[in-house]
Amino acid sequence: MLASASIEAGSTSGKKQRTGSPNQAQIKWRTGAQERIYNRRLIEALRAARGAARPGAHAVKEAADSALALTARGQSRWSRAILTSRLRRRKLLVKAVGRIRRRRRSPVPSKRDPAAMKVGRVVPGCRSLPAPTLLEEAADYVAALEMQVKAMRALADALSSARIASPESEAAES
Amino acid sequence: MEPGRSSGGGSGNSGTFTPEIAETLRFEEEIQSLMRDGSPAATGSSFTALLGLPASQAVELLHDPGDINHRSATGFPLGFSPTFPSNTALVERAARFSVFAAAAAGESPLVSNSGGHTAWPKPEPADSDSGELLQRPAKRRAADRSKTKASAKRVKSGEMGTGKPTETGEKLPYVHVRARRGQATDSHSLAERARREKINARMKLLQELVPGCSKISGTALVLDEIINHVQSLQRQVELLSMRLAAVNPRIDFTGLDSFLPPECGRGAIGNETSLWLEGVGLGPGERGQHIWHTDLMQQQQQQQPQQHDFIGSAGTSLFPCNPSDQAPPLRSNQLKTEL
Repeated sequence: MLASASIEAGSTSGKKQRTGSPNQAQIKWRTGAQERIYNRRLIEALRAARGAARPGAHAVKEAADSALALTARGQSRWSRAILTSRLRRRKLLVKAVGRIRRRRRSPVPSKRDPAAMKVGRVVPGCRSLPAPTLLEEAADYVAALEMQVKAMRALADALSSARIASPESEAAES
Repeated sequence: MEPGRSSGGGSGNSGTFTPEIAETLRFEEEIQSLMRDGSPAATGSSFTALLGLPASQAVELLHDPGDINHRSATGFPLGFSPTFPSNTALVERAARFSVFAAAAAGESPLVSNSGGHTAWPKPEPADSDSGELLQRPAKRRAADRSKTKASAKRVKSGEMGTGKPTETGEKLPYVHVRARRGQATDSHSLAERARREKINARMKLLQELVPGCSKISGTALVLDEIINHVQSLQRQVELLSMRLAAVNPRIDFTGLDSFLPPECGRGAIGNETSLWLEGVGLGPGERGQHIWHTDLMQQQQQQQPQQHDFIGSAGTSLFPCNPSDQAPPLRSNQLKTEL
């Protein structure tokens, strides 16, 4: 998928740098294709969230994050963590698994850098992970977040400008 | 690699070892001459026949670690016998080496043994049989180099370190990882070093990802900066979600995709677009939303089958309202890229 995505987005912004995995994260999240995919998902999620809770700023944020995780296609740990935490139907299952996981999850800094633990706390689903995996996940998460912010900002700007436009046109029509 | 290492070792150790380098060369010549003189019983791989009696003495010397340690010039903390636990042929070879040193230099065998072995920074590129013997000092040198670091762990594992350099005559069950000059050569530290390098590589790429991190030096600060960046991005997401929530109830999302940065409008779908417009209740005169309409329908239709096949029920929980009243999905290369 990545290859075809970059082929398709070759005219746009496919950044092909070195082949380290964090740079793959960059490459992956900055292609125009990914942005389009995310936009679509975002819009759908937002439309769904509208029906759910009216004042829901939280709902919007969660929808956006879920859309982001979906766009990641579950290939990264944080995306899987987001998706499993959002599923309500499977909440019981997730909770059970979470309990088991919590038992196993001891803050063992054996292979884990205690300084890198703070990074693990910020990235969802990456609390105790060995350092190289954690850094990889962090890079992917940062790239994804940047794309998310960019898309949401564009969307918000578009919507607000349309809002401004529509009353005017309505006034103009009538 | 051994010649390369030897040259590095020579230049690095030049301060202490130059007199002994000359000695080494002399020894080599003597060894070769001895071999050439040969004895009737000399085989290709052992010097036993050449030496005869002194070998036993040398072996004895080797197996007396206390004495060796006591006299070692550079503080060899280990005796030699522990370093060659399983291969008595090696021990004998080393013994012969020491005997040669003693014979040629006229020093006490122990001093020259330890001194010579610590002194030989280069394994002279293995030529024929002398190559075998000279690989002893290669081993010593490796162990020795690890010991000069003077860390307890490396000292302890110096025995294992002797197996590290790849050698022709011996088959040791180690992973042949080439140790860099001046670094410990045991498997633990090599694995650790590989791990550290992996971590550092990832950290470097993260630094490039986060703006303003390349200037900072020091792992902890970089990590802090990364964390700050992630937290600021998350805050921005929250702010934007509040903005979107404020805007949401008023406007219906229809053709937003084309409005957004990476894309600018695919071909309008014609009838469906107009259907959409009517269905949503927006007049065709509204410029902003009109642009939105063109692509969303097309892409929405594409999204349905994708979501179904890759998330299943999760997808439906996120997107409960499926616009099923629209035209059949249109396939495009975008669809293929997603799959």
